[in-house]
Amino acid sequence: MRLTIQINGEQHQVDDVWAGESLLYVLRERLGLPGSKNACEQGECGSCTVYLDGTAVCACLVAAGQAQDREVVTVEGLAPGAGELHPVQEAFLAAGAVQCGFCTPGLVVAAHNLVRRNPEPSDAQIREELAGNLCRCTGYEKIMDAVRMAAANTQEAGA
Amino acid sequence: MTRSWVEPIGANINRVEALAKVTGRAVYTADVPAQGAAHAVQVPSQISAGRVRRIDTREAERATGVLAVLTHQNVPRWRGQPAIPYYAESRLPLSDDRIHFGNQCLALVIADTLHQAEYAASLVLVDYQLGQPVPNLDAARADAYPPTGPYPDRFPTEHRRGDAVAALRSAPVRVDREYRTATISHAPMEPSSTLASWDGDQLTLHDSSQGVFAHREAVATAFGLPVESVRLISSLIGGGFGNKSYTWGHTLLAALAARVVRRPVRLTLNRKEVFTGTGHMPAMIQRVRLGARRDGTLTAITHDTVNATSPTDDRNEPAIQSTPALYAVPNLAARAQVAKVNIGTSGAMRTPGDTPGQFAVECAMDELAYELGMDPLELRRKNYAERHPQSGKPFSGKRLLRCYEVGAAEFGWSWGEAEPGTLRDGNDLVGYGMASGIRAEHSAPAAARVEISSDGTAEVRTGTQEIGGGTLTTMVQVAASGLGVSPDRVSIKAGDTDLPQGAPTFGSMTSGSTGSAVHLGARRVRVAAIRLAIRDTQSPLHGAEEDAVDVRDGRLLLRADPSRGETYVDLLDRHGIGALRRVGEYQPEEESAVERATFGAHFVEVRIDRQLSRVRVARHVGVFDCGRVLNEKTATNQARGGMIFAMGGALMEQLVPDPVSGRLITPALTDYHVPVHADIGDVRALFVGEHEPEAHPVGAKGLGEICSIGIAPAIANAVFHATGKRVRELPITPEKLL
Repeated sequence: MRLTIQINGEQHQVDDVWAGESLLYVLRERLGLPGSKNACEQGECGSCTVYLDGTAVCACLVAAGQAQDREVVTVEGLAPGAGELHPVQEAFLAAGAVQCGFCTPGLVVAAHNLVRRNPEPSDAQIREELAGNLCRCTGYEKIMDAVRMAAANTQEAGA
Repeated sequence: MTRSWVEPIGANINRVEALAKVTGRAVYTADVPAQGAAHAVQVPSQISAGRVRRIDTREAERATGVLAVLTHQNVPRWRGQPAIPYYAESRLPLSDDRIHFGNQCLALVIADTLHQAEYAASLVLVDYQLGQPVPNLDAARADAYPPTGPYPDRFPTEHRRGDAVAALRSAPVRVDREYRTATISHAPMEPSSTLASWDGDQLTLHDSSQGVFAHREAVATAFGLPVESVRLISSLIGGGFGNKSYTWGHTLLAALAARVVRRPVRLTLNRKEVFTGTGHMPAMIQRVRLGARRDGTLTAITHDTVNATSPTDDRNEPAIQSTPALYAVPNLAARAQVAKVNIGTSGAMRTPGDTPGQFAVECAMDELAYELGMDPLELRRKNYAERHPQSGKPFSGKRLLRCYEVGAAEFGWSWGEAEPGTLRDGNDLVGYGMASGIRAEHSAPAAARVEISSDGTAEVRTGTQEIGGGTLTTMVQVAASGLGVSPDRVSIKAGDTDLPQGAPTFGSMTSGSTGSAVHLGARRVRVAAIRLAIRDTQSPLHGAEEDAVDVRDGRLLLRADPSRGETYVDLLDRHGIGALRRVGEYQPEEESAVERATFGAHFVEVRIDRQLSRVRVARHVGVFDCGRVLNEKTATNQARGGMIFAMGGALMEQLVPDPVSGRLITPALTDYHVPVHADIGDVRALFVGEHEPEAHPVGAKGLGEICSIGIAPAIANAVFHATGKRVRELPITPEKLL
């Protein structure tokens, strides 16, 4: 089938998509956007988190056809412009919240989603909200620091 | 204006590859572009023991897009048996009709697209001849035996000193307990991936590999090629924890498939294959006996272990390896056995041997402390070994007492105020526990090329791998320090057998071994530049003594008079040198006068819901001696990660075997529970190490493994303090406390 999706602000048309394909497969294998990672294939680890019409979803659980005529934002599309970083990305970098980095794209999108909806999250809210994004390296503490930092910086920027 | 010079080692700089990682541009093996690559998918065995009576691939071969189906009947013969352990399994894939474990690869389907290959794999029909599976360690234990062969040769299966049996018999106080640990999995976030392509007899492999040089050799052997015919490239690795320390069958199969279909082939494991086919820490049963005098002085330790091993391997989990080093006890006997279970090959998992081994011994120490009515911390101090108790050699550095002191203060450790099972806070039972950790420090030969260019930038080339620990960043810091330039001027090329040979990124060898090679290379460049300057009449440093010259921020200068000097740029420019480069080579000593090890101490507070019996680690202080810390930002993160990794093994992680077939019933992240954000309490990692050039020239020791040792016993000991119940079996899941 033919698929039309808006991804990171650009219209894409993809041909010969198989009906059983996931949105994640289309992003990674057909559109050259490998930022979203395939780690568990079952929506358990959050490594493929993207926005679908503004809602954070696991791209591995979204059938490609479900994204027809909808708007997708991936980790590659979060920064405001070339050579720039979103405050959440800045915070992950500065806080040292990155190790192997395989969970990072999903976590960055999930943290972006958290800070956007809740500009002043409590520690308990951060822990609960990000509990669906597995990280095997960091022990999560620096990720907490990054989200706190991102929330503070976003507040400042918005004020 | 010159910037103020900051010594690069120890500076909390950001990771050099973090920008790529937060923007999604970082390239992992499965992200490497592969124009025209075919895709390979493995057909897994549905039984755990038996034979393939017949395998029918006709329908699969007719399916759309299928290029080939390989089985044991038509697979080209392997040309050699790679050496253990860098090829993990004793049996090469598809080598016969025998089935040894569930999910074992029985066929490989290669097709134009991944979906075509997956579909065709489902069409392969296997007629099984069922064998009699040994499902778990309990079923196998009666047939336990002392293993022999290349693997146990590396990890001795017996240690002895004095007469432990006699000493135990006469000991006034004795502990004699059995401890059990479950099969657990590395479960890195990145499933292993391989991209293979041939150009004549030249093979290029992109592979999720923690050791490109060792793995290249394994691959070359299997194909009967000289090592130079294989280039192995490891992009950024999405975590390994040991499961990418060895080459597994899928890597060889990808290369074989590419040869058969005469196209590049990509093979990325699915999550189930990661759990069943890339190693695990095997289930263990351990008996520990301690003998002591009433004042707490240990007189004897015995440690007997048995672990599950696959039907084709003889792999002892080296849980007894550190027992001789732990305490100053005169009499010791330790022995390791294995027992065959129908499960895949086990593999080194953070931290091989020491995580389960020290769980058993350090829990037994706690039991002894309570038996004696003695503070468990005091018991450990009482039996502290200043020298290595087995060899009698001094340690290159040992700051374990400092770990105890700093940890106890930070945690607020005090013992004896509450009897086990009596501390409450609202609905929670509260308990405190502690334990020690030790890890022998390993070394490997390593080389690195370091260069400074006439534009002022520097580059490091070494075939190390970035698995997440911060290798690229710390190696840049070590080079910057040696050269005397700012780290932001230094770039690094890694993860490729075309580069000088780095140490493998396992066994905590990066900082000490590869780090020393980079250190030596950078120092050689610095010295060469200084010599060039002091012999040059046009240099402001002409005639100076070599030792009197320092380099800071890219400028060579006189220590006594920093205004006299010149930059690398000016010096190289004047001499028409584009780049000054030297290779640093680190060669571990064959015979050493010192013992090298890293140390840790853990203090833990658990809270246990009285109704649900769910254990939470509310507070955890870990203190480590890993020599000089190269970058506290990456080190703290790695250490806390290691502590949480071990907490998962203590409280939730287990690959559960089916009681009849032994097939693993939890090979998915929905069922194999790892710690998540909401499980984490107040976790602190502190360092007491100092520059330790006696350990390695760079002064650093490993961190990636010591940070996961001693956590499980500290938690189990705290659980006893909270509940009054000794749980001697990991993981400590709620039903064990009901």
